[in-house]
Amino acid sequence: MSHTVLVCDDAIFMRTMISDILTQAGFEVVGEAETGVQAVEKYRQLKPDLVTMDIVMPDMGGIDAVREICRESPEAKILMCSAMGQQALVVEAIQAGAKDFVVKPFQPSRVLEAVQRVLG
Amino acid sequence: MDLNKYAALFLSESREHLTTCNRLLLDWEREPGSTEAVAGLFRAIHSLKGMAATMGYGRLAELAHRTEHLLDAIRGGRAPAGPTVVDLLLKAVDALERGVDDAAAGADAGFDPGELPAALEAAAAVPMLAPKPARVAKGSGRKGGKTSLPATPSAPVPVAVPVQLPEFGDVAGRVVRVEIRPDAPLPGARAHLALRRAEQLGKVTGVMPPAAAFDAPGFDGRFTFRLETPIGETQIVAAIEAAGEIANVAVDADTVQTAEWRVPTAAAPSATPSARSGQVRVDRRRLDALMSQVGELVVARNRLLELAQHQPGSELEALGARISRLVSDLQAEIIEARMTPVWQVFDRFPRAVRDLARQLGKQVRFEMEGEGIELDRAILDELGDPLLHLLRNAVDHGLETPEERHVHGKPSEGRLVLSAARERSSVAIRIQDDGRGIDRRAILAKAKREGIVGPEVELLTDDLLLKVLGRPGFSTAERVSSVSGRGVGIDVVLTRVRAQGGAVEIASTPGAGTTFTLRLPLTLAILRVLTARIGTERYLLPLSYVAETVDFDTQPATEVKGREAIVLRDRIIPTVHLRALLGVAGGVVPARRPGLVLEVGDRRSAVVVDALVGQQEVVVEPFDAPRGTPPLFSGATILADGTPALILDAAALV
Repeated sequence: MSHTVLVCDDAIFMRTMISDILTQAGFEVVGEAETGVQAVEKYRQLKPDLVTMDIVMPDMGGIDAVREICRESPEAKILMCSAMGQQALVVEAIQAGAKDFVVKPFQPSRVLEAVQRVLG
Repeated sequence: MDLNKYAALFLSESREHLTTCNRLLLDWEREPGSTEAVAGLFRAIHSLKGMAATMGYGRLAELAHRTEHLLDAIRGGRAPAGPTVVDLLLKAVDALERGVDDAAAGADAGFDPGELPAALEAAAAVPMLAPKPARVAKGSGRKGGKTSLPATPSAPVPVAVPVQLPEFGDVAGRVVRVEIRPDAPLPGARAHLALRRAEQLGKVTGVMPPAAAFDAPGFDGRFTFRLETPIGETQIVAAIEAAGEIANVAVDADTVQTAEWRVPTAAAPSATPSARSGQVRVDRRRLDALMSQVGELVVARNRLLELAQHQPGSELEALGARISRLVSDLQAEIIEARMTPVWQVFDRFPRAVRDLARQLGKQVRFEMEGEGIELDRAILDELGDPLLHLLRNAVDHGLETPEERHVHGKPSEGRLVLSAARERSSVAIRIQDDGRGIDRRAILAKAKREGIVGPEVELLTDDLLLKVLGRPGFSTAERVSSVSGRGVGIDVVLTRVRAQGGAVEIASTPGAGTTFTLRLPLTLAILRVLTARIGTERYLLPLSYVAETVDFDTQPATEVKGREAIVLRDRIIPTVHLRALLGVAGGVVPARRPGLVLEVGDRRSAVVVDALVGQQEVVVEPFDAPRGTPPLFSGATILADGTPALILDAAALV
């Protein structure tokens, strides 16, 4: 059984790229969300093994979504996708329950390393 | 990673973001207090930056970064907002649009935003009453490698946090010293992760530098803490290394071990990978090709049905009926896939109208309605220029200056409304202004001088007005402005809209304004038509405009304004004899002829033909009318039996 992933990002570009990286590595992308609200709903519905979460999203940002998901499911494994210069936000996300983070622009190897750490 | 496959996605999504930015900037200009606009702008630019950096478009990413930086400063109350900032951001969005195009054309390295970065920098640095120290500083001693964006130059904030060993007291515990890899991005956040891993092993105290200082620019990725845990050294090291990007973990700090960096292998591909995303983007050309194939299929289907008719009850007839249903379903699905909301074209207009109004010294309140109405993408793509032209005309010639409006007792702000609405199986797009209206007398005089209308005409009706304005090269503008230009007139709009199977109407009231209505079919490629016969020729009428058919020769006839008309349920409807209009001479005129009641907007006419042949679906081919053809046709097609036929323009007949 491959691990299931929920990809949350408001940019189709990013969702496509992350999905491609993960799919090629044998993961199964079972859902995508483009807002924080959708992320929370889809997590409830899909219970994926892993969530990749963008920080800046409309309609509830990624950090609030992490908080909400971890409140309901403390076992959730969430990987933050951040940009350079968002250190304070990443720290906030970690305190909210995110397990690891990757920084855009993504290098597939770094993304996969982080995913392994989160799932490990 | 092959980035080429993402280039198209990058281009389309970046453009969407920039269009959103334009709209938000205008919203913000109208409501300077709105925090939503700034938040939305930040998100859009932030996304663009991430995409550009990922694609390796460094110059574009840098400009996006500076724009984002300014927005962040405004959002955080560290830089002031206002009209100058909006103007600057509009310029930045323009430059980013250029940059996106350059990057997509493979010329990111040549992209030159000029003075913009400096201007954005300056705007972000405008101090508020209580300036906060800048978050990002140079010289942290870290290089993020080629992936990093240049840090914003600002005064370095000295954060001298001495790295020192915690004091050894009588508290039990081991001193752990962690060093993050020097090339790790966001070392502070990584340090937090390492700390959390440690907290899962036992009690953590005496963190140095304090965790709160991990975010500081001076943080070099090295920190120590005391860990109370019964777990052995090897496990401690392994647990903390699991936080990732760790160069070194030393327990009891006197013995420094260098942990070897392991690259975890990716999970082996096992089950069939599948991406279950809800939507995919399809290249427009693919949709066009698909549509054209289905068009051919429809023609073949029609021919099959004709053949099947000759063998009633046969297997061929049954199969023909089945294939017919399948083709109809397929066609409906593809048309559905082609439907696109009009906002995709409307979205760029607020910016254009604003810029134009400023340039001309006019005050314009521009409103858009019905942006969710959908049209075939091929039609929509052709509408941008005609609509922009009509909007420019309205701002330039229609709406008056604030002074002139004041003289006529109007509010100084002119109103311009662009709306879309579904009407029957067509879409009506209106451009309505509350300006001075069209000067019919001036146009009539000019039309008479140029011999467009006869000297006997005393009044230009709306229809006649459109005919005059629609003459190629006809312009009444007293001056040639850089805005509306010369030569590009209503005729271009008429031609473009008619080429899409649409029609244009005009209604103008002196002193109260002008309304242009563009009536368009929902989809271009396939049309349901009624086939009419006149003599031996066949003509097609779009079914969507046919309200009903009547028996013309038994209807009570009357006259209205010197024209023949019929009375239908107390309504007087002027008649149009196609035989006479098209100059058809052959064949015998039957004693009882059908009349087709056409309805375009609130106008009607009864079109008299020799006979009705039937209904069918036809594939509309582009129709370039030869010179001298009466302006009565909107397209052409090939009928099921292979003969060509012309499609009548309903709007030209009412």
